[in-house]
Amino acid sequence: MVDAFAYVPAVVLLPFFSFLVALGAGKYLPKGGAFGGIAATAGSFLLSLWIATAVAGGRAYNETLYTWAAGDQFELTFGALIDPLSALMLVIVTLVALLVHVFSLGYMNDEGETGLPRYYAGLGLFTASMLGFVVADNLLMAFMFFELVGLCSYLLIGFHFREPGPPSAAKKAFLVTRFGDYFFLVGVVAVFATFGTAAFAGEGSFPALAEAALAGSGDVWTPGGLELQTWLTVVGLLVLGGVVGKSAQFPLHTWLPDAMEGPTPVSALIHAATMVAAGVYLVARMYGFYALTPTTLAVIAFIGGFTALFAATMGVVKDELKQVLAYSTISQYGYMMLALGAGGYVAAVFHLTTHAFFKALLFLGAGSVIIAMHHNEDMWDMGGLKSRMPVTYYTFLAGSLALAGIFPFAGFWSKDEILYEALVHGLNEPLLLGGYVMGLLAVPVTAFYTFRMVFLTFHGEPRTDLAADPEPVRWNVKGPLTVLGSLAVVTGFINMVPVQKVLGLEGIDYLHRWLDNEWGGIEGLSSHHYADLGPYSSGYIAGGEVPTVLVGAAVSLGLALAGLGLAWRLYNVTSPTEHTAKLGGIKDVLYNNYYLDELQVWIAYRTEDIAGGADTFDQGIIDGVVNGVSSVSLLGGSRVRRIQTGLVTQYAAMLTLGLIALLVLLGVNGGWFL
Amino acid sequence: MSSVAPAWSALSPALLLGLTGLALLLVDTIRPNERSNTSMAVVSALGALASLSVTVWFVIAGTGHADTGGAITLLEGAVKVDTMSLFFTAIFASVTALVVVAAHDYFHDHQRPAAFYSLTLFAATGMALLAVANSLAIVFVALEMVSLPSYALVAFLKKNRGSVEAGLKYFLIGALSSAVFLFGISLVYAATGSLIFGEVAGQIESLDTLSGVAGIGIVMIVGGVAFKTASVPFHFWAPEAYEGAPAPVSAFLSSASKAAGFVVAFRVFTEAFPLGASLAADINWVLAFGVLAAVTMTLGNFAAAVQEEVKRMLAYSSIGHAGYALIGLAALSAGSAGNEAVMGAAMAHLLVYGFMNTGAFLFVAMAERWGIGRTFEDYAGLARRAPVACTAMAVFMFSLAGLPPFAGFFSKYFLFMGAIENGFLWLAGLGAVNSVVSLYYYSRVVRAMFLDDPATPSALDAIDVRPTALYAAVVFAAVATVLLLPGFGPVIEAAEAAAAALF
Repeated sequence: MVDAFAYVPAVVLLPFFSFLVALGAGKYLPKGGAFGGIAATAGSFLLSLWIATAVAGGRAYNETLYTWAAGDQFELTFGALIDPLSALMLVIVTLVALLVHVFSLGYMNDEGETGLPRYYAGLGLFTASMLGFVVADNLLMAFMFFELVGLCSYLLIGFHFREPGPPSAAKKAFLVTRFGDYFFLVGVVAVFATFGTAAFAGEGSFPALAEAALAGSGDVWTPGGLELQTWLTVVGLLVLGGVVGKSAQFPLHTWLPDAMEGPTPVSALIHAATMVAAGVYLVARMYGFYALTPTTLAVIAFIGGFTALFAATMGVVKDELKQVLAYSTISQYGYMMLALGAGGYVAAVFHLTTHAFFKALLFLGAGSVIIAMHHNEDMWDMGGLKSRMPVTYYTFLAGSLALAGIFPFAGFWSKDEILYEALVHGLNEPLLLGGYVMGLLAVPVTAFYTFRMVFLTFHGEPRTDLAADPEPVRWNVKGPLTVLGSLAVVTGFINMVPVQKVLGLEGIDYLHRWLDNEWGGIEGLSSHHYADLGPYSSGYIAGGEVPTVLVGAAVSLGLALAGLGLAWRLYNVTSPTEHTAKLGGIKDVLYNNYYLDELQVWIAYRTEDIAGGADTFDQGIIDGVVNGVSSVSLLGGSRVRRIQTGLVTQYAAMLTLGLIALLVLLGVNGGWFL
Repeated sequence: MSSVAPAWSALSPALLLGLTGLALLLVDTIRPNERSNTSMAVVSALGALASLSVTVWFVIAGTGHADTGGAITLLEGAVKVDTMSLFFTAIFASVTALVVVAAHDYFHDHQRPAAFYSLTLFAATGMALLAVANSLAIVFVALEMVSLPSYALVAFLKKNRGSVEAGLKYFLIGALSSAVFLFGISLVYAATGSLIFGEVAGQIESLDTLSGVAGIGIVMIVGGVAFKTASVPFHFWAPEAYEGAPAPVSAFLSSASKAAGFVVAFRVFTEAFPLGASLAADINWVLAFGVLAAVTMTLGNFAAAVQEEVKRMLAYSSIGHAGYALIGLAALSAGSAGNEAVMGAAMAHLLVYGFMNTGAFLFVAMAERWGIGRTFEDYAGLARRAPVACTAMAVFMFSLAGLPPFAGFFSKYFLFMGAIENGFLWLAGLGAVNSVVSLYYYSRVVRAMFLDDPATPSALDAIDVRPTALYAAVVFAAVATVLLLPGFGPVIEAAEAAAAALF
């Protein structure tokens, strides 16, 4: 039998080839190279399914494929690591990428956009980079593909580079995430310096070495005799810098709402499966390392909880469809970070999975609305689209119910599990409990803004002529929406932990078992192992596990319904009006995103002084030396030129004099003439 | 090498070159009136390639390598075939092949081009002989065998004043240098009583009062080497000869002939005057090479920076590169384990240089063939008319400057690292500063070709011919320059093995 794992590189390379084809020959191909991209991502998707089947068959894969630099201390390699986590992620990424490619036919080609080869080349490279990141078997390789992902987001967000907004947004996304990546890069170097390897899995991997060193059975380098635990925390936080940037966590989330300037399918790809997911995936990938440092976990949990609430509040007042979704993305990734920080590894991966589907769905649904509305995104110009575009409406509704966390849609299960993990682990940890409370408070806010969006867009009477007569969309829009709509409904059932606990039905928590290597996996990369490493113990309220489950679920569901109900009352009317004025002064703060953009700009200007110093150094000393060398050389050169007189007698004389000088030098040096 | 082959067959690369030269003469004698440019070029290219193939085969088979019975000596020890001789013969044969192919187009309207091919082949034979010389007498004879055809080649355009003048100057300086060299040999013979390298080395330690005589002789031999490698102060012929000569000849002289000078230097100064013994006899020739290297690279690069004409710039840059390669001799220290690395790096640099410099001069040959001017300004906008050739030229320029990702980067990097590890930080530092200077004038060419606009829209209309053979040679040299980057591992290993056999 042919080994599925032999095709791991092909999963990455197929979209890369579609990138090359679209780039090189896109303008000669029908649809600007779209079919190549669809074929490539479909191929990757099928291969990923095959690989996942192989993992389900009890196998795993961890191989170095290419060593591109070897030294005495360590080797720099490319490799592939396929375990339950990466196999799952491969399926998600390739599926979403495939659907986005198909949807792009409707959103880009049918809308008569120009520059399509560039667009499909970008999509291909973006997918390939993310897939390379997912299969990476070491931190350095992960970092390189992480950067490629960042580059692709820059290229795609700035796709409409002739308009003023997109290039600026692309630059912002690039710079803000780069700021986080500096820390990540330093972290990669620190990992190499500390452990001599950056491998994720296996005996000699850095999480395993860190674990051994903390247990006292290994020896690793720490700078300046720093205590090991402290140093590991520092390293963990450095790598976290990259995560915070890419996953748009506070305070580096500011790039993400601006990134809505990119074409909507790109937003779907960025938010659901690639760039933003990369950060969270990285933490999950090296969870064996993070689980060793309680301080880092607590920081992750608190940042996550805070971001979840903070971003949700900003989503409440936005007028544009995609803006609401942007803030919801930030908020939902906050939940995932909260889960990771709270020791809920499975919960985080679960939410990553469900979110990938329902957020891709919401973005594509929004894209469908945008097509219908001729690229007007203001929700106040919509209304009443429900009867005019039913497929979009019902799928969008499914996604919204999932996002709001309404039973039994996908988001309910995953969000509930996150809050549950944070609660039971947080009863003895004040920081974690704080994260839980913020996460819980974000639930009604999320439900509120989600349904405010749904009601304003689809319900009531059309508020403009455009909304009364929207442009129809074709199969290539409806198809992906239907697939994702179904997934948003059913994905939650892969991991019905509450049902299992309450009803005592064993074995229906498939995702738990999957990530616990029950079918197959790599030693040391199981959720069980992580739980053993983690610092948390569980506590229960209301007298036991089952009541805790029930109370937790009831509270979050109740809060979600409350938010939904408020939105229903305010906005599910024939002609809704703005209620933001009731917020008073808070409204301005929320409209302006807590003035964080202004703060960042202010900080950027303050750093001008430092940059000015560096500039002076560069101009004065570095350039001075360079210019000095050049002027000396030009001056010297013209002198030398004069020696070359053209008279052969002078040459002979100078030649002889030179030889004599050499003779005298060596003779005196060697004492020949004595 | 298998044991059945007779020992003389180890010389077959040189013999092949020589026989090809004779065959060309024969053909030219029998049918003197035939316009035989093409057949001549084909025969000489085939001869050079045959020689190259045999050489490469020998290297792979391990002829003269320590693993297969060590160096093969012939003629009472006066000739010695080892890895280094094969390595350099490969350089000579490659450059010869490129040059004769390019010459086919360059001399398309020349009355009697036949002599060019035979002279080139005879010079190449002399170089191949230099690479195997193990006696000072053979060295001198072979050196003259390289020089005499070279004088004629420089003056080959008999109706061109520049060519003739350059040839005469080259001849005069060459005669002086040969005299110095020969005098040096006689002094060494007087002091040691032998011309065979191994025997000279045995006497160097026990010179006693004769060390001054031998020392003066050795410095004069350094002078002879400096002439052949175009190092200061024996370089004066080079800018004018390179500029005045037909461009394929410039390519041949600045690449192959220079490498021939280095192969002599490497062998003589490791086998006849080994460092430890020389130092014991108070003959610090490393110091002499240090001074020469420093002055040569500085003068070459600084002078190149102010030139107006591309060909003359390349001539000076060629002097600068001689300075870099001299580091291979100047950064040695007695008994150091790093000697092999630094000398091996110098050999590898000469190989890479053989391709990139030949290519650059052949591009100039192409420009002369097109009939556009000689200055930087005349090259403005050339990339629009001849993108492939200009891309190749850009590869040569960046590789000569030592920029990654071209082969010139690696060879220079290994050379400077070897010097640093052997304790010659100052040489490496000076080399680095010179490389920065060189980037300035090399990039001027690239800027002119790709970024500048032609002075007049019709300035480039002269480019209406497509010299196929020249194109092929230039492109081949560019491909080799690029491919030597991934292929640098085997090259540096062969070079270090060759150097290791010397110490």
